[in-house]
Order: sequence, then C-alpha cells, then structure tokens
Amino acid sequence: MPRAGNRAPLLALLALILVAPLPVRADSAAINTGELTDRVRELLPFLGSPSAPLLPQVVQASAQGGPSVDPSRLDAPERLEIELRSALREPIGETRLTVIDGIARIGHYSLGSAERHRGHVVVLKGDAEVHGQLEGNLVTLDGDIIIHPGARVTGDVLALGGKVRDPAGGITGSRQEIAAFTPVRAPAPWPAVVARRGAGLLGVFLTMLVLGFGMVTFGRPNLEIVSDTVTHSFGRSFLAGVIGQVLVLPTFGMLVVGLFLTVAGALLIPFAVVVYALLAIVAVLGGVLAVAHAMGETITRRRMARGLAVSPNSYRYVLTGLVAIAASWVAWVGFGWVPVAGTIAFLAAALGTWCVATAGFGAALLSRGGIREEFTGRLLPPAMMTDEYLWATPQLGVPAVKRPPKDSA
Amino acid sequence: MRQVGCALGLAALVAAGPLGAQTMRTYGASRPVADAQPPLRTTLEFGAGRVVVRAGADDALYDVGLRYDADRYTPLHRYDPRTGILQLGLKTVGGTGLRVTSRGQLEQVARFAFAPTVPIILQAHLGASEAVLDLGGLTLVELVVRSGVTRGTVDFSSPTRGDCREALFSVGAAELVAMRLANAGCAEVRVEGGVGRAVLDFTGSWRRNTRLTAELSMGTLTLRIPRGTGVRVTADRFLTRFDLDDFARTGNTWSTPDFAGATRTLSVALTTNVAGFEVEWVD
Repeated sequence: MPRAGNRAPLLALLALILVAPLPVRADSAAINTGELTDRVRELLPFLGSPSAPLLPQVVQASAQGGPSVDPSRLDAPERLEIELRSALREPIGETRLTVIDGIARIGHYSLGSAERHRGHVVVLKGDAEVHGQLEGNLVTLDGDIIIHPGARVTGDVLALGGKVRDPAGGITGSRQEIAAFTPVRAPAPWPAVVARRGAGLLGVFLTMLVLGFGMVTFGRPNLEIVSDTVTHSFGRSFLAGVIGQVLVLPTFGMLVVGLFLTVAGALLIPFAVVVYALLAIVAVLGGVLAVAHAMGETITRRRMARGLAVSPNSYRYVLTGLVAIAASWVAWVGFGWVPVAGTIAFLAAALGTWCVATAGFGAALLSRGGIREEFTGRLLPPAMMTDEYLWATPQLGVPAVKRPPKDSA
Repeated sequence: MRQVGCALGLAALVAAGPLGAQTMRTYGASRPVADAQPPLRTTLEFGAGRVVVRAGADDALYDVGLRYDADRYTPLHRYDPRTGILQLGLKTVGGTGLRVTSRGQLEQVARFAFAPTVPIILQAHLGASEAVLDLGGLTLVELVVRSGVTRGTVDFSSPTRGDCREALFSVGAAELVAMRLANAGCAEVRVEGGVGRAVLDFTGSWRRNTRLTAELSMGTLTLRIPRGTGVRVTADRFLTRFDLDDFARTGNTWSTPDFAGATRTLSVALTTNVAGFEVEWVD
C-alpha cells in the first residue's frame, strides 16, 4: 500500500486535469479526445510523447570531414538514405549535416506561396510542403513531400520513407519515393524450431495417450474389436476409410437436407450438426487409438516371442503404438528446418499418419464403432463348423518306425 | 573417429546459426514529359521476379513501381534529360545467403509504363524474370528483349505508332512468345536462340513487309503466320527438323506458291544447328 499512497497525488492531479473545463468549440460541444490527450501531455511533460512532431529547425553544417551529402543527383536513393540516417544524432538537435549547394532542415518544412528558394533542400524527420517556387532538388527522410497547386519545383524530388503528393503536376523533374523498410519476419533459429516442434509433438502425444488410456479404461471391448478389425482386415479397413472420407461431406449434406425437408427435423439440424461432427471426430480419434493398440500389441508379442518379460495389457499396447506413430514425426521435429529433407520428412510423416487414421477410421466404420466382430478374425469360418477338426491328424504327426540299416540284415 | 566426425558435424550445424532476415521495399519513380523531349533510349534491368511493361499516360515519360528484396538489390534509376538515356530496374548489391522464406514473401515485382507519344528505343534484359510486355500503343523505334531462363511474353495488343526499325529477341534457355508482331510494324525481326523456345506470332495489322533473321542453336522456333501471307525461307541448316509441307523448295529456299504476288510478305533467313523450325498457319 505504500506505493499506492505515493501515486495518490498524481492520480488526484490527473483527475483535476480531466475535469478541468476545456476551451469551448463553436462547432462541437463534445470533448475531443485528441485535445484531451494533448492537454494532459502539455501539463505533464514527463509522460513523454514519442509521436510528437519535431520542432522545425535548421541543421547546422557539419565540421570539416563531418557528414555531407550531395543531393544534386538522386539516382542512388538507398545510398543517400544510408548517408542521411548515419548523420542523425540523438537528440535530433545535435545532428550536423552539410548539404552541397543546399540546406538541411529538421521537422516540418514549408515554403510559402510568395517565397522562392534556390538550392537543394533536405528535410529530416518531417514533411515538406511547397506552396511557392523551389529551384533545386528536394529530399525528405521519413516524411512526405506535398506540392500544392500553384507551387513549382524545378528539379527532382525524393521521399525516403514517405510519399510524394503532387496532384497538380508542379514537379518538372523526376519524383521518386521509396518506402520504409518492411522486414520480412526473420526465420527462427533451428534450435528454437526444433524445441517448438518437439513441444508440439509431445503435447499431441500426451493428449492422445490420455485419450487412449481413457478408452482402455471405459471402452476396452470396443477398442479391442476395432483394433482386431485393423489387424485382421487391414486392406478392407483402409479401403473403407478412404471411401468414408470421400462420403463424409456428402452424407452430412444429405442429412441436413433430409432434416430440412421435414418440419420437425429442421429443428434438429443444429443438434445433428454437432452430433455428426462429434461422431466423425470420435471415429477418427478412436480409429487412430485402435491402430496404435494393434501396433502395440504386435510389437509387444514380438518382444515376448524373443523371450522378453513384459506385461501384455492394453495400456502398454496403446503406449507402445503411440510411441511408434510419434517416431515417424521425430525425424521432422529434428530435421524439419533443413531445406528439402525437412519437407520430405514432413510429407512422409503426414502420409504415414494419414494411412493410420484412414485405416482406423475404416475399421471403426466396419465394426460399427467396435460392436460388430465380422472382420476381427474371431469368428470361425463355416468350413470349420464341423466336427472333422476333432479327427484331424495332429500337426506334429506320428513318428515313423526307423528303417533298419541294410547291412544289419 | 566416428564420434569426432559427429561432433564436427554438430558444431558446423550450430555454427551456421540463425539465418538472416530479408527485407522487402517498394520504390516508385516517374517523370513528366518535357517540352522538348528527346527520344527515350531505355534499358530495363530486372534479374528475378515478375515484370510488366506497358504504355502509360501521355503526360508521364515513365512510371515505375518496384517491390524488391533490399538485401540483394537496389533500385536503378538514371536519366539524362539531354540525351534521353534512361536506365530503370534493379541492380544487385552483392547480397548472399540462403533464401529461406517462402517464394510469395520475397517475390519481386516490377511495373514499367512509358509515354505512348514519345519515341522509344527499348532494351529489356529480363534475366530470370517472368515477363509480360505489352508494347501496343507505344511509339516504338527499336526493341531488344533478352530473356534468360524463364518464360516471357511480348505482346503488341494494338498497333504501335511510328516506324519500328528492328526487333531483336534473344532467348537463352527460356521460352519467349511474341504475340501480334505485325502490330509492331518492324521492318526487321531478329531471333537469337539458345536452347530455349521462341514463338513468333505475326498476326495483327500489317503495315509493311518484314524480314526475319533467325539464328538457332538447339532451340525451337515456331512461326504463326496469317494465311495469305507470302513467305520465303532461306535456310542454312545442320541437323534441323523442318516442317514446311506447303512450301515449294528450290535449293535452300522454300517459298509459298503466292509469294511473288502476295500483298504482304515475310522473308525468313535461317541459320540453325540441331534445332527445330515450324510454321503454323493462322486463319
């Protein structure tokens, strides 16, 4: 609170200023915001005014060997700009500049309608307005050049970081204007790019992991059916996924049109839109998680076949599968900033992820969200629905009697 | 040893550091037509980007608008009021480095317009620019177009004023299409071809008979000529594919049957090496 107490006098002073009567304007009784701001700045100069116009002033000639420009030829505008900018000092009043056959000014410059000036004029940090006769070249740095009707400039004009306005055609020579620098956003250094992309990949991975664990906890049978559908009918799932992607929008359109054609159904359109979008998202995300589950299961079983002792459960399957999918993006995270190679890595990862999502989406469609088991490989084919398998020859067979060697007879 | 190599590679990557920023600027220049205006002897220099050239307002001798990469180029603008010599465009400032931003961000654009009433000798050095020059309506005295490695189109959408002495098209590895050349009214057209392709379309309003001189090396030249024009081709060729079925051959000369009595004629002198040449008739 002691700091608040210190600010109290300042706040009171500001309040007094704000409620003080402003000059009455004949055309409007409304308070002009600009005037209010100017008044506050006038009374409280310590607030500063970065955009305040500079006080017009003459630039003194520099000492021997100091900054000097020759505006008689304006065919190298960028070089002249560099020379002028390098001559600027802070505060601006300390600037010294020699203009060959001319003068230099700081701030707003105006040549009256009854005035005639011979020689070049260089205006720094301000506009140049010409109402009269200027016999020489005119250059502004960070300011516009305005040639009013009736004015005449016998020479060339150049606005560095400004515009030239000459509606009446009072310039006999050339008019040039060059815009201020507009830097194109610098590319981030590659470590930052890698870190940002890595963080993004980690975030997506953790999000998918949480969703996957949630599905294992609350919808494990459905997840396993979709996963088995991918494993046993991958081609069919992928094809169904491609067709499903093509038909998503037409189906949505038909749904909306169908609902619109019925009086009661039209009221359901907003809900139908939301539900359809949610179903599509759930189908894609669930499909990706199911593919991850299938990949993880395959990887885990291979590791177990090699004799590694791991716990085969769905949580591990989802985690392992998501790590495998994320691995395809690691190359892009690490080398995405490299020209060509980065693009190839991105395209490869995107293509792989699209295949995963398409197969998962198709499996979700085929299994009706993990309800139907037709494509999971769990059902016995009709040929197996006999009792012949009970009489089948054991796969290992019966060892034959070893033939005795000939010489033993 | 492998560890040392990996360490050196990593160090090189780190030493490369952040890449520099590019800066795009816009530039505009114009000049009114003087009372005693000499003919304009113009040279356009533009290395890379998109270029548009056309006729402008009557009272503006020239009007230029550029958007350029300030790290690599600087505007070129020189004019001598006594001689009428004008240089416009961009010149390099020696900037180097890898361009890592998108093409759209750093695309350079140039727009040139010239007074239709002032006689102009125009030389356009287009480099690797993608150029569209519509010179219809200009008072064209002479034209030189040198194209480097990209596609350029020179169009005479309307008849030019005055008499054009010569038009020269120099094609490096580029494709250059000259449309409605008859509107240019040039007495002589020359083509110097490298490994690129040139298409000269002689449709438009014919004002005079025209001579075409073409020197091709491994390039292809296609002439589109209005039907009814008398054409005679004199060829000095080596391993050149000809497609002149409608022509009568006499030695190294191929002529259309009506060449002697045609109201408008095109005489072609070809010097070709391992090149292609064909004529397309336009109805």
